[in-house]
Amino acid sequence: MDRRTFVKSTCLGTVGFCIEGAPANPQQQPAPAPTLPQAPPIEVHGLPQRKPSPLGMPGLYPGRVVELVDRNSIVSNRVAQPIVCSMLEQGMKELTGERSYSAAWSKLIQPSDIVGIKINPSGAPACCSSPEIVREIISAVQSIGVPSKNIVVFDRYSYEIDVGGYQALLPPGVGVLGIEDGVGDISGYNLNAYCEVNFFGEWETRSYMASVVAQTVTKIINVPTMKDHSAAGVTGCLKNLGYGTFNNVARSHRAPYSFTDPLIGLMCSAEPLRSKSVLHIMDGMRMVWHGGPLTQVQDYIYQAGTLLIGTDPVAIDTIELETIEKKRAEQGAPSVWQHDPKSITANNMEFFHNPAKNLFYRRPGHVAAAGKLGLGVAEPAKIDRRTIHRS
Amino acid sequence: MPAPDWPTLLQDNLRTGGLGIRPAHAPNRPRWQFRAGRSIRSAPLLRDETLYVISVNGTLHAINVNTGRAKFTFQTPAQVHSTPSLWRNLLLFGCDDGKLYAVNSESGAKAWEFPTASQVWTSPVIRDETVFFGSADTHFYALSGASGDQRWTQALPGKIYSTAFATEKQLFVGCGDGRLYSLDPATGKIIWSTATGNGIDCSPAVVNDLVLFGSEDFFFYALDASTGVTRWKYETGLGIVSSPAVANHLAVFGSKDGHVYAVDTAEGQLHWKTQVAEVVTAPPVIGDGIVCIQSGGLVALDLASGKMVWRAGLGGSVQSVPVLTGDVIYLASLDGEVYALE
Repeated sequence: MDRRTFVKSTCLGTVGFCIEGAPANPQQQPAPAPTLPQAPPIEVHGLPQRKPSPLGMPGLYPGRVVELVDRNSIVSNRVAQPIVCSMLEQGMKELTGERSYSAAWSKLIQPSDIVGIKINPSGAPACCSSPEIVREIISAVQSIGVPSKNIVVFDRYSYEIDVGGYQALLPPGVGVLGIEDGVGDISGYNLNAYCEVNFFGEWETRSYMASVVAQTVTKIINVPTMKDHSAAGVTGCLKNLGYGTFNNVARSHRAPYSFTDPLIGLMCSAEPLRSKSVLHIMDGMRMVWHGGPLTQVQDYIYQAGTLLIGTDPVAIDTIELETIEKKRAEQGAPSVWQHDPKSITANNMEFFHNPAKNLFYRRPGHVAAAGKLGLGVAEPAKIDRRTIHRS
Repeated sequence: MPAPDWPTLLQDNLRTGGLGIRPAHAPNRPRWQFRAGRSIRSAPLLRDETLYVISVNGTLHAINVNTGRAKFTFQTPAQVHSTPSLWRNLLLFGCDDGKLYAVNSESGAKAWEFPTASQVWTSPVIRDETVFFGSADTHFYALSGASGDQRWTQALPGKIYSTAFATEKQLFVGCGDGRLYSLDPATGKIIWSTATGNGIDCSPAVVNDLVLFGSEDFFFYALDASTGVTRWKYETGLGIVSSPAVANHLAVFGSKDGHVYAVDTAEGQLHWKTQVAEVVTAPPVIGDGIVCIQSGGLVALDLASGKMVWRAGLGGSVQSVPVLTGDVIYLASLDGEVYALE
């Protein structure tokens, strides 16, 4: 990265930081918030000599989100794969305007591609990327000519993949990759692509991009879940990509403060992650409206039966944020924008079991900040939201 | 004298690793601690005075239990998630490079290896000098224990992450396609198969002509071993990958819903259930009147009532199982530490 790019990234990051705290709905403005610390400068070093792809974020359909809701897609906490299959087909056709399912996929994926499917197994088993959805995505990718050996399902933590049971539940021949096995294992990362920043005086100030993203795959299909996040406000497309591709990211939040805004968006802007990420299919079968990303408390997991499909991660996350805010309001929980010092607790169990409590001052402004970086559309009025209620 | 069979995961339905029921008391202090260096996903084994532990980076550690020091190591070229089995003087285990390895348990020298086309996470089982195991390449294999030569192979429709149970006339193994298969141990021919609602990667137990196992469809099943007909099934809150231990007419297993369940094997009635953690994926082991399971830490429950007897804040695990002896508990943990607790 040259100096101009560095300055641009840093400044945009600061813009994102400054706009954080502006609630989507001003009526939800909480009590006076504490002054939060400014994010330090962040260097983004993508791989050099990479030409941005037109398929990269925000992709072929900026601002367009297809939202499919089918109450029969999840029954008694079990995802119905045939219904998911039908939802995916309808959604892909609606997104692309194509009449055939294979033509819709062929807009984004070619038979020669090496396809990475970025799942979110954190929170498994209560709320993680559903194997039923991942199986249908694999089937669709195979149907347009990508061989199984050129498909890899991946995430950073192999033990979370183990708990999710993906190895046994996904089709034969498809790779399942956990990038790291434990703290300090950087063997799965490319040391030439990284973000550098010192947030809290940590000893390791770099976060490296996973080699599977930097080198191996040519396209990425992102399959995040729909979740509240104690530090980032929500964990959706952007966080699943950024924090699921770079290592050493937990350092961005130290209670009660979080710098997930602007780090998440900046990471997603790094090449080749940005160019390779061509499709986002948000698994909203289960929606965690409090306690994310790791909660196992079913009281705060709503079986929403929803899929959000698009090429624009910012637009999808904007809708996700709105949806979770709405659910929290229905349940009497404070807004994720709230920065009330009385809401902060250092007790994990209290946080997991009390929606009024949180570990950090959440930073959902990372979504709008990513929009400022050109990764997508964050203004709700400009989003082409196509909601399909199937049952 | 012929070598004893090793017909299932950890040799018997109690998951004792061949040690039989032993008293197990709340640990007071560590005798030693061994750092394997990398995460451990599989269960350790004890024979005589050697504890065998394989870390996920493929290093087999043979640890002298008196000193807590390694007698030898054996390195595979890929990760290992397979719990080893002992037969004669061989330690057998699968590897992510697709091979099954047989390593001399005294010297650490490789005796033989057998290739498959994908990772082998299952634990090999041995009966009548034949080694049986499944691979993620969707095939189930039978090999000569002495030479590693293939006797037969059987293709199944899904990946195999379930350790088989071998009886004299039938093999039982779960499959990623959601079916439990019974195979002929002589030929590999499918005798029957029974569908569940999702993939199966737990290892079945077999007792009183019942095949007992859990599925990712949230149910725990009892099938008629002869016909595959479902005798009963019991629903839990989430998927089941924890292989059951069976004693006193109770099948004890964990569910991803965080509970350990005990159901009676005859009718599938719940005897007790106890929440021990947020998620349970490891198999339990049964000691003298207690059930021990690694989930978060090491937990001991009263076998009769399910009440918590003691808990130790060590030994986080995905699939590991403690080794219970009369005076020491050996634990291999997810963070790569091995403990001998007195």
